[in-house]
Amino acid sequence: MTKEKWRELLIRTLRLYTLLVTLITVLMIILGNLLDRDRVFSYDAFFSPLIYALIGTVATLITRSDKELSVRGLIIRKAISLLLIEGTIIFIALNADTIPADKNWVVPCLALGVFAVFVLSHLILYFIDRKEAEKLNADLARFQEKRMNGSPMNE
Amino acid sequence: MKLETRKIPESEPEMVEIRYHWITDEIQEIISFVKSRQGQLSAVRDGRRFEVPVPDLFYAESVDDRLFLYTATDSYEIRMKLYELEDLLKNKSFFRVSKSMIVNLMKITSVRPALNGRFSAVLKNGEEIIISRKYVPALKQILKGGESL
Repeated sequence: MTKEKWRELLIRTLRLYTLLVTLITVLMIILGNLLDRDRVFSYDAFFSPLIYALIGTVATLITRSDKELSVRGLIIRKAISLLLIEGTIIFIALNADTIPADKNWVVPCLALGVFAVFVLSHLILYFIDRKEAEKLNADLARFQEKRMNGSPMNE
Repeated sequence: MKLETRKIPESEPEMVEIRYHWITDEIQEIISFVKSRQGQLSAVRDGRRFEVPVPDLFYAESVDDRLFLYTATDSYEIRMKLYELEDLLKNKSFFRVSKSMIVNLMKITSVRPALNGRFSAVLKNGEEIIISRKYVPALKQILKGGESL
């Protein structure tokens, strides 16, 4: 991979991580208020979104491929990535003291919440890509106009 | 094959003359190369040879070790490797968008996001092709007036 491609991957990974931290924090606020309102946490609880986001980001990186994947291949990889995240989060939920997994609906709600974060993060990244595409289109129009007027490609 | 070059006065037109006994693959390759330098590609469709003007090309795609050229409505096969064609069309608005395809940037109507961080390009004939994520940084650079690959 060239320096530019590494840079692109780093930007995308950091963007995904930051997005996941935000969405997971929101999810924890909603689920906590609905299912375990009276619980009091120490400051360590602030690490949770950072750790869960890291799990999500690593799972996405594991299932990432440099190969040209078909739409079907992509969907399969995404499904594996989601299963990996769901499995890890539920494993943590069943073993960590901070999540009351013994209470009814906590684990299903958590699984549903993880799915919602997964879908939302993809949607937001799609909108970011759409913005990038708009910029590409503006640059493309300028490029085509320049070439029509006879400018060389390497300026 | 004997190679002969001769310096001529500027008043005379430059020319390439090929003397042959039979048109072999080697001769055809040389003819194709010279024609491509003049803005035409020698390609085959339905067993007939055509001279395809480079500006008419939309994209070129390599399928199972065969290279195909696509214009707005027709497709042709050309006896060349994709990287050779890419090299030949360097500085002619052609850009590598995936492992198996180069596209004429002048024939793209718009770019839009596809799945998994990839982009797709809608061509002027309505066709849609995928731009692989790994080529996007280079595309951005070229469109901004930077160096080609």
